[in-house]
Amino acid sequence: MKRFLTQYRALLWQALQVEWSNSERWMSPLLFSTTMILLFAFAFGKVDVAFLPQLYIAATYLTASFSLQIAFSRVLEPDTQDRVFDQLRTYPISPSAWFLSKYTIVILLGALILLPTLFLSNLFLNNEGPVSLLNSSVLIVAVLMLLSLGAIGVLLSTMMLRSNAKQILYPLLYFPLTVPVLLSAVESSRMILVDGKDLSYLMSSWLGLLVIFGIMYFTLCLLLFGELVKPE
Amino acid sequence: MIDAKKQDRLTFGIGLAVLLFASFSWFYALRFAPSDEAQGEVYRIMYFHVPSAITAFLSSFILLFFSLWTLFKRSSVAASWSKACAEVGFMYTAITLITGSIWGRPTWGVWWEWDARLTTTLILALLYAGYLIFTNSMAPGPQRDRMAAALGLIIAIDIPIIYKSVEWWRTLHQPPSLLRSGGSTMDPEMRSILFLCMFAMFFLAGWLLWLRAINLQLQAKIEEQSHQAR
Repeated sequence: MKRFLTQYRALLWQALQVEWSNSERWMSPLLFSTTMILLFAFAFGKVDVAFLPQLYIAATYLTASFSLQIAFSRVLEPDTQDRVFDQLRTYPISPSAWFLSKYTIVILLGALILLPTLFLSNLFLNNEGPVSLLNSSVLIVAVLMLLSLGAIGVLLSTMMLRSNAKQILYPLLYFPLTVPVLLSAVESSRMILVDGKDLSYLMSSWLGLLVIFGIMYFTLCLLLFGELVKPE
Repeated sequence: MIDAKKQDRLTFGIGLAVLLFASFSWFYALRFAPSDEAQGEVYRIMYFHVPSAITAFLSSFILLFFSLWTLFKRSSVAASWSKACAEVGFMYTAITLITGSIWGRPTWGVWWEWDARLTTTLILALLYAGYLIFTNSMAPGPQRDRMAAALGLIIAIDIPIIYKSVEWWRTLHQPPSLLRSGGSTMDPEMRSILFLCMFAMFFLAGWLLWLRAINLQLQAKIEEQSHQAR
């Protein structure tokens, strides 16, 4: 366990240093997210107040999902430079520690993108609107969504390392796989904001599905990551 | 060489038998199945649509099985079968979407509706397509087999969502009428013919799967030998 934690800390520290030295890596998805929100705001124009919450929630999560996809797809990029990835595969490090370090980085990067996205969306899309996504229950839903998407993001990023068509393949696989997560996050938020339901009520419906997907994707990705990084 | 010839003859024989059986089942469904009270004759597309949909979903479970086999046994043969499953699954998913669309036009009045079942079936088609593009975009070898197997596992997990979607979401699509608690709501004669068509479709898919898996194994051997010759 001690060895596992040491490896996890070392890998996480190395990844944090790489991310810290290059702020473009999280800034560009955030800028992308801002652009998308502005585009949505222009596209929606004046919306009937009755439809606003539904549109606002869907547009926000969609924007977050697109921006997160950009950030996730690049998570293993620094490792491919100077053949770090291939060298790490030959070292006796625990694949779980490796996965968890990448997963932690992805969650941190994701939070840096997701939270400003929620704020910006509230500012531009929901100006004087009847509901606000800056609500503790909705934030819990958004974080749960991030935890689910992060696991699948790391796994797909690892898979795409050797692919010749990763630019097109990543979104092609990421979006269909994340549909249940995105849908349950949108529906949970809608039920909290529009129908006034609380989290305990939602646990038996959409939020429960989101939690199940989170656990399932995390477990599956953790197990499969080890298989993917095994040396040939 | 003799073995290959024997295998060719066997494949051809089985294929012919399967095609005859499938043709018979479709002819029987179109000619002798009773008309539906509500939908008239248009419902007969069901005998093609429902077996295709079930075969498409079944392909994903076979994909799951071969993906697990590839991961645990490191078998390149299982990897060929997995890819063959995805190809057959993609073909049947496409058939399901096309026949569903044709059936939807007279019954719902539209070619396409963003209904839960339709959307999730489209997602399945995209996942199969992604899987196939992924395997084709990588250099052959054990690493590609492992990665494709991991992807196959994840795709197979998405299938229960598709099946349960009709119950979870508000949908235009009719609820399951064949496999449901409390027994089937379908007319027994229609049900028997549907089962006949389903078996025919399963045999056809099985034959295609077998044929394609053999081809992929041959292709892998050729790739390996050309790689060694370089």
